[in-house]
Amino acid sequence: MIGYVEGRSPLHRAHPYTTLTLAGAVLFAAFAMTEPFTVWLLVLAGAALAATGGVLRSSARTALILSLPIWVLLFVLHGLLGGGARVAAGPLSLSATGVARALVLGGRVTAIVLSFLTALATTSPHRLVEAMTARGVPFGRTFLLASTLTVLPRMRERATRILEAQQCRGLRLGGSVAARVRALGPLALPLILGALAEVDEQVLALDVRGAAAADRRTALDPPADTAVQRMVRWSLLVLVAAAYAWKFIRMRG
Amino acid sequence: MTLRDLVLVRLGVAVNLVIGQIVVALLLPVYLDSVGTILVAALVGPRAAIAAGLVSQVLSAVISGNFSWLPFAVVQIVIALYASAAARLGLFRRLWTAVAAGVGLGFIAASCSAPISYFVFSGVTAGGVTVVTTVLRAVGAPLGVAVAAASYATDLLDKAIACGLVCVILRGLPRTLAARFPALAR
Repeated sequence: MIGYVEGRSPLHRAHPYTTLTLAGAVLFAAFAMTEPFTVWLLVLAGAALAATGGVLRSSARTALILSLPIWVLLFVLHGLLGGGARVAAGPLSLSATGVARALVLGGRVTAIVLSFLTALATTSPHRLVEAMTARGVPFGRTFLLASTLTVLPRMRERATRILEAQQCRGLRLGGSVAARVRALGPLALPLILGALAEVDEQVLALDVRGAAAADRRTALDPPADTAVQRMVRWSLLVLVAAAYAWKFIRMRG
Repeated sequence: MTLRDLVLVRLGVAVNLVIGQIVVALLLPVYLDSVGTILVAALVGPRAAIAAGLVSQVLSAVISGNFSWLPFAVVQIVIALYASAAARLGLFRRLWTAVAAGVGLGFIAASCSAPISYFVFSGVTAGGVTVVTTVLRAVGAPLGVAVAAASYATDLLDKAIACGLVCVILRGLPRTLAARFPALAR
């Protein structure tokens, strides 16, 4: 499952910026790690983060489902088809460097997916918007991130209705590629033109809610931020910078 | 950005994320996940189009749970800038010029995405492109060549269809609606 899960864990209670910085640190650190051992330490860190948030089971299961196809492709592309010295693994002959590369790349994806699934599961969208408002983030940015997610289900539903309606009118979805490309028009046009026709109405609705006002907005219930959490965030930034510095020193050395 | 631009950016992002549903129903071998960005570029301009592209990339990661592909956000910026320039040159007025502009966009987008795919992900990215890369690798192509060929093959077709579709949308706009977009009149 992807999305927020109610809870009372330390991650649920933390300032949203702290949780997102933790996940962001895993993302950036993952690209700085080049050895299978260090990448897998990062996977363990992601798992520890999920356990702290009380979402280890659900996050690990979804992370596995999401990264499994990538693992398969990695082992085919680099393990089976890779060059260099070969090692036997049962009936298979694998490339030793290819397997090491697959372990690094697969570990990276798994660590990133696991940490962000945890962040999404423990960060309430409402608290995030409140935190952004309290920090003086312009309305436009919070609107684009939060409001678009609420529009998507409506657009998806409309796309399904158009698809069914056009099929009722005799639109064929099969046939040659050219015929299927031609069918794009009758399906995409009503969806997009309909949405464009509603733009003015939505602008008016936002305007009457004072969205165009340049004044700083007041957050009604901003999440608490502490000196310890700020220190954790800065420490993570320093750690990521140190990881990149170490990577470049090793590359030059 | 004005409120109107914000609403249009949101629309562009929604189109980028929802059009895949139609593509899957038609079993087309493309993504069309930049139609919204190209449309916003033609209707509003480069700034709003860049915003649409970047927000699409972030929200697509939020929805799928996979933030690994965020380095490809650079490609969205390139698409936004190219599409804005193509719109200013009037290339979306006729279908054939739009498709030609799409082929150019596909070439540029692939030139940006192939190095990211090769150097950052060693050729393994999302679904279809990686399958093509694996097939090419299996028939003996070096990894770099396989990644580049797969990227160019998918992006040329994808962006040509996306630009053609945007041209059809712009031509299908009723005059009263089209008059509300000054960038379109230019």
